[in-house]
Amino acid sequence: MSSQTQVEEVLDLSKFFDHLWVTIVWDDPVNLMNYVTYVFIKLFGFSKEKAHELMMQVHNEGKAVVASGTREEMERAVQSLHEHGLWATLQREDHGRV
Amino acid sequence: MVEFKGSPAAGDLSVPLSIDELHILIDLIEQLLQLLGEESFNQRYQSDDSFDQFLVAAMEDIQSTISQPEDPVLKRLLPNAYPDPESADEFRKYTEPALRKLKQDHLLYLRQQLVLPADHKSGRADIAISDPTRWLIAINDLRLALSVRLNIDQRSFENYKLMPDTDQQKPLFAVFFWLGGIQENLLNHLWR
Repeated sequence: MSSQTQVEEVLDLSKFFDHLWVTIVWDDPVNLMNYVTYVFIKLFGFSKEKAHELMMQVHNEGKAVVASGTREEMERAVQSLHEHGLWATLQREDHGRV
Repeated sequence: MVEFKGSPAAGDLSVPLSIDELHILIDLIEQLLQLLGEESFNQRYQSDDSFDQFLVAAMEDIQSTISQPEDPVLKRLLPNAYPDPESADEFRKYTEPALRKLKQDHLLYLRQQLVLPADHKSGRADIAISDPTRWLIAINDLRLALSVRLNIDQRSFENYKLMPDTDQQKPLFAVFFWLGGIQENLLNHLWR
């Protein structure tokens, strides 16, 4: 029994690695600051303050990580951001690399 | 300037638009709908059943790939989801038809709301806004499409103000900034 459990735990490691994905929103000269804030609130349930802070990070630094999770979750987030006209990509989280 | 009235909670959110403004919006929507329908892979996915669509996509998997669209407007509206082109194409194959459909649906929704007044002499119509988010998305896609055609950047508004009235592109720039004003006013109205 115990060895079976151990095997399952090892197999479950894939789930752990699945979590190392992030969604990045990139700055663009067209989307209005208010609109980007609105979309962040709508899609991620952020407070207006938090959404505004992330929007400013996109504006000032050229990009910001707006979500992290499994690859599938981030693919859904990117698709929704594209639906709303924001420029977004997903990738593995950098500092998650071994 | 475009002034919004009412609230989504009360169900009476609306905006008065002139017949000229309505015609401009309708014209832009129809142009963008046409563009989104072109180069489209929707024909291959006739079935509404998602499993059927998945099967069709899987069958065509080996030969076909969907790369970034050629048209720069479509490239902006349907951007790559991954930095590396191979993953981006792979993702696009399964998601681009759905993304196009969403954008077409939002534009069609806005188009349906833009009802020209029966009395053409009145000059204005109160346009009801049942779903402000879909309004904002559709207006935003029109702005994005125009921005690509006009090469909009951070300095465009300053340049626009200095443009002579004889410049042939000036009216299109005016429409672009007018759309931005609609979006900004609607957001301010929702947040007031």
